[in-house]
Amino acid sequence: MAQLNDISNETIRREIADYLEREDERQRNIDLFAPTQPAMQEIAAALLEGDHKTVDRLTRAALDSGTPALQVMDDGLIAGMGIVGIKFRENFIFVPEVLACARAMKAGMAHIEPILSASGIEKLAKVIMGTVKGDLHDIGKNLCIMMLRGSGFEVIDLGVDTSADKFMTAVEEHSASIVGMSALLTTTMPNMGRTIEAFIDADLRDQVKFMVGGAPVTQEFADEMGADGYGKDALACVAMAKRLAGVAA
Amino acid sequence: MNSRQRVLAALNRQPVDRTPVCNPTSVATVELMDLVDAPFPDANRKPELMARLAATSYTELGFDTIMPVFSIIQESSALGCKIQWEQKDNWPTVRMREPVYETHEDIRIPPDFLTHPDTHCVLEAIRILKKEYGNEAAIIGKTMGPWSLGYHCFGVEPFLLLSLDDPGQTKLCLDKLKEATIQFGLAQIEAGADALTLPDHATGDLVSGEYYARYLRDLHIEFAERLKVPIILHICGKTVDRMEYIAQTGMAAFHYDSKNEPEESMAIMKGRCALVGNINNPETLFSKGPEVVRAEVRRNLNAGVNLVGPECAIPLQTAIENLKEIPRAVREWHN
Repeated sequence: MAQLNDISNETIRREIADYLEREDERQRNIDLFAPTQPAMQEIAAALLEGDHKTVDRLTRAALDSGTPALQVMDDGLIAGMGIVGIKFRENFIFVPEVLACARAMKAGMAHIEPILSASGIEKLAKVIMGTVKGDLHDIGKNLCIMMLRGSGFEVIDLGVDTSADKFMTAVEEHSASIVGMSALLTTTMPNMGRTIEAFIDADLRDQVKFMVGGAPVTQEFADEMGADGYGKDALACVAMAKRLAGVAA
Repeated sequence: MNSRQRVLAALNRQPVDRTPVCNPTSVATVELMDLVDAPFPDANRKPELMARLAATSYTELGFDTIMPVFSIIQESSALGCKIQWEQKDNWPTVRMREPVYETHEDIRIPPDFLTHPDTHCVLEAIRILKKEYGNEAAIIGKTMGPWSLGYHCFGVEPFLLLSLDDPGQTKLCLDKLKEATIQFGLAQIEAGADALTLPDHATGDLVSGEYYARYLRDLHIEFAERLKVPIILHICGKTVDRMEYIAQTGMAAFHYDSKNEPEESMAIMKGRCALVGNINNPETLFSKGPEVVRAEVRRNLNAGVNLVGPECAIPLQTAIENLKEIPRAVREWHN
């Protein structure tokens, strides 16, 4: 079992010490970061500070020095985003800070994605995400997408005001295994259930798992509409997607 | 006391004969639209329909207030935002993915801001309501705060990132946008509004309590000073971490969400600001029956909440029976 002092980067040590209150999460992150290269920890630290310019520079430098793209993504970017998700869940940071971290993640991924695509490395699963018909709110959905991508999922974002037909077309076109639906309004929340019904009517329901979320959505409502999972925040969304994809959390 | 006197007394934290029932956001439902033949989207754009639908909160539901502004988009439309007006069963929404501003220099309050059809409609509706119900029920207007207007005009993500990247420019934006809040508020007071709801969605689901203190507390103090009717601040979601700051603004009342406990909220306010709320919308009013509604009303009354009502604009498919249960339960509790 690694110790906090085994992590060379001071920012990462401080982040773990100050913000990770659950013992299992604390130890898991210590074990995750302790064996990683200092350069990867620097990337994670810059991401945690929301410094997209530094993440961009360090990611490029790491790849130029020969560090494999997958390693930079896992040990630097994804590891950093993991702490971001916990801090957000625990209200240590809020949406502006998460958006800045996600922007930093995106800056790093801009270098990594072309390499991974060319090498044919598979993502955990394909997820179709959209805000349901009649609803133009997308901040919650976008946070989920950032965290899903930051956890190794391929995400196809259908945006807002998404009809059942559009969800079905996307599932078929991308052979996706998970659909994530979001709604902020109580008036549009029932459109989640209607979308699931449309999949049943089209004999597509067995092809996909549905996860739902949004401010007015509850576990009870998710159960009633026949969704496979409900997540109350972006971190829960990632955990749910992993469960639905059959990968370890 | 009649409804108007009761509401105004409660907003001024003076004695009342019973706790007023109030929704300072919206009580429009599809059932009420059918009842008075005033459906969305027209009821958001035509003053006579807007007034007719709004009046049902007093005439049909037994609430003490009338609120004609069912959405949060009227002045954003007048500022140039693109609106998706939707149909009878959904609220109109700003297309925030198509922002109209990028920097503070883009912000201009148009000369026709108060004569634009979507702001003018509200002013006309208030005039109609004032004439018909002005001596009986409290007519409440609504003017959006600059933080909410920032979401609409810049887009939520760009505006939140701006607030982190460039606090100085963010403050400039808020300072310019506040003029829309003031202008529309003053015009509604002149039209006959007894009080104003001021939604400004610096919710705990998006930003911290410190953010509220940094960006909005002083502006809200200014609104409370310049808009000379009782102001009801509305912020959805978790807000206990900013209630202390809200209590310092001089706002008459705070319309609070069911994510906050009534007892804890009252303890923070310490009588400095009235509380309005906080019957849960999606789980209680929309999904459950009158018994659950009654229990939530009683909890608020037991905690000493000053005006009781739904936590936010009620779901359009809410059953009228659940809404009628609110004033019924309030009367029962007082007897």
